[in-house]
Amino acid sequence: MISGIPRSSSAASILGAVLLLCALSPALQAQQTERAKRLGTKLMCVCGCNQILTACNHVGCTYSHTMLQELDERIARGDSDDLILQSFVQEYGRTVLVDPPKTGFTGLVWVIPILAPLMALYLVGELARRWRQRALLSPAGGPQLSSELLERARRQADRQDVE
Amino acid sequence: MDIFGSFALLLALGAAVYAFAAGIAGILTRRPLLTKTARNAGMGVFGLVTLAIATIEYGFFTDDFSLSYIVAHSNRALPLYYKFSALWAGQEGSLLFWTWLLSIYAFLALFLNRKKHPELMPHVGVALAGVQIFFLTLNNFVTNPFRVLGGLDTFGTMHIARLSDGSGLNPLLQYYEMVIHPPILYLGYTGFTVPFAFAMAALLGRYPGEKWIHITRRWTMVAWCFQTVGILLGAHWAYAVLGWGGYWAWDPVENAALLPWITGTAFLHSVMMQEKRGMMKVWNVWLVFVTFMLSILGTSLTRTGVVSSVHAFAESSIGGWFFTFLGVILLVCLAAWWKNRDYLRSDNQLDSLVSRESSFLFNNLILLAACFAVLWGTLFPVISEAVTGAKISVGPPFFNKVNVPIALFLLLLTGVGPLLAWRKTSYDALKRNFARPLAGGVAAGVLAFAFGFRQFYPLVCLTVSVFVTLTIAAEFYRGARVIASRDGTNMLYALGELTMRNTRRYGGYVIHFGIVLIFIGISGSAFNQDIQKEMNVGDKIALGPYTILCQNFDQPSTNNYSSDRATLEVFRNGKSEMMLYPEHRTYLASQVSETIVAVESRPLHDLYVVYAGASPETGKPVIHAYLNPLVKWIWFGGIVVVLGTGLAMFPSRRAKLVLRPAMERAWGESASSKVVPAGAPVFRSEGHD
Repeated sequence: MISGIPRSSSAASILGAVLLLCALSPALQAQQTERAKRLGTKLMCVCGCNQILTACNHVGCTYSHTMLQELDERIARGDSDDLILQSFVQEYGRTVLVDPPKTGFTGLVWVIPILAPLMALYLVGELARRWRQRALLSPAGGPQLSSELLERARRQADRQDVE
Repeated sequence: MDIFGSFALLLALGAAVYAFAAGIAGILTRRPLLTKTARNAGMGVFGLVTLAIATIEYGFFTDDFSLSYIVAHSNRALPLYYKFSALWAGQEGSLLFWTWLLSIYAFLALFLNRKKHPELMPHVGVALAGVQIFFLTLNNFVTNPFRVLGGLDTFGTMHIARLSDGSGLNPLLQYYEMVIHPPILYLGYTGFTVPFAFAMAALLGRYPGEKWIHITRRWTMVAWCFQTVGILLGAHWAYAVLGWGGYWAWDPVENAALLPWITGTAFLHSVMMQEKRGMMKVWNVWLVFVTFMLSILGTSLTRTGVVSSVHAFAESSIGGWFFTFLGVILLVCLAAWWKNRDYLRSDNQLDSLVSRESSFLFNNLILLAACFAVLWGTLFPVISEAVTGAKISVGPPFFNKVNVPIALFLLLLTGVGPLLAWRKTSYDALKRNFARPLAGGVAAGVLAFAFGFRQFYPLVCLTVSVFVTLTIAAEFYRGARVIASRDGTNMLYALGELTMRNTRRYGGYVIHFGIVLIFIGISGSAFNQDIQKEMNVGDKIALGPYTILCQNFDQPSTNNYSSDRATLEVFRNGKSEMMLYPEHRTYLASQVSETIVAVESRPLHDLYVVYAGASPETGKPVIHAYLNPLVKWIWFGGIVVVLGTGLAMFPSRRAKLVLRPAMERAWGESASSKVVPAGAPVFRSEGHD
């Protein structure tokens, strides 16, 4: 008996707490499932299928079921997202993370696809500008004359001048 | 049989070497006989490789389990059509198949042009033979599919072993699409060799003008179309067989197929700049070179184990061969370009940024950016491991984040580009052409938003898709209206007439429409729903508008596999709509399992049900059901793209001479002389666009 509290009321409060827990547990489970789904999209299945953990359900996969179970257990234990992801990295290596880290050398994977099109855009812009400039500078109309033809025309003109 | 096949392959290699050497000698010495024999040898490769293919197929059909390749990929109980497709189930056979498809292309290119382009074709023959030599070397000395089981005894006598049965075909390949998907994709990969050979030949032979572009346009379109269909069939196979509810996972092998498709698409667009305005010659030559190199890279990624993939063949030592070959190609391309770069000078300059030319420039830039992003993401794990020593993954979210905005911008350009005029587009023309489609697109977006469509990318995709569809419809309508009013025909006839007068232009629009449908289909994936549940007979699950009732579990089997199958009845609004039978098969020869997904595909969504095996905890069967919106649009879009490509390759009908009524009398008077009266307006087709 708990001192100061009658036996019947103590039993009632325990029963109440159990009932409350039962009532809350589907909501808690649903939250956990949602969290598992969200975290599962941040992890790769390591069986070699190249799919995110929650998408890998191919028959015969020896990893995804165990990994999902592990994820559920860690969520139930109350671990934070970062801690869960870190524990998976420790267990399976960095390949388990869907997104490469945005720091250090691996950050390049994110930076280059943004920089490269910008660079290309600049180059195309520059090319277009030069083309336009050349188009404006070139004499309007008339066919382009070869250097041989121009030279012949110059010689002919010189002869006419002399005459 | 193995000796027959091996000799055929060896002779094919000899013929290719002769075609290469005699071709070069013929070009240098200008002796027509040498050139002719080189060409004949080049065509002969096809016959010899066909013999090798026929030999190994005969081995499959007759269960010749003395060949190690047949033992590894077939068994007696395998259905005949899978025995046929088992040829490309493994490294050796698929490379032989690659060589065979290449030899078909080479034969056709040499045969169809045997009396044309005498200055160009010897160079083409040499380039094709060079590529064939590489693959035939692999077939003969590295991945020979005619290796027999057995070995030499102590006296040096060869003993051939023959097993009673084989290990069977990989279950993932025992699906009807696997009979057609690899050949079609390979036809795409190998097909890009022909434009490469012509581009290289034109560059080396300094072939005048844009002739090589005209010659190779259809070849490129054929390869591009096969690549498109191959990619879509692969996506459909992944959807129907792998059982994860999706069709594209940005797997390295999927990406490898996408890369040459992207650069091939860029080439098919930028080539118009060269044809119309004599611009972008260097760019076009390099696009063809890069497309071919990416085809080889794609072929190698599947086979070398450089990147891990569910689609890849086993790791092998073949990587060194492929990367050396790629290096040689790159050096040859660089040398050919450097030596002949003055031949590639542009004839014209860009007149305005608001023009068809600049839209092609942007189109190419965006396509190349997409190609680079995919290549970068695919190869980065290898680069990262080489630099930091640690392996990392680059998963689907990276590719989605980078490529979705690029793809949507490309889709927008699909609508914008064709409405811009060559050289310069006036403000009035811009307003006239764009106002209505733009208003329509924005209205669709606003309506969708009002109806609760809140996801950003699908909303943008819908808006842009409606805009592009309206621009395409407007183009058809405007052209057909002119013909209908001029010829006094109905709109439907005028539409057909318009299309047939310029198949390339209007075929291109049909392709663009197909791409729009594919984009809409892909955007549907943002609204996918799924549910997974352990089920007993009588249990129900609800998904979207459907209720799925488990009716029965049984174990049907054949002599090839045993199976666990669920019988599910699907209700909608309380009415029974369909029966679905998802299976989980175990193949007897290999003891490997796979899912057979049950899919009910409808225009607005697919109900996709997987028998996911038994729960390890309870032993109860697990059913995973997905409701995937608009997936059918992707496959339908693919069909539209193929139809459009076929149309674009079809020769345009010659323009009729159409005279204005006022002039018709004059024409009637002078008809006997068969001379068009002076000043009579003659309407011609616009030519390609």
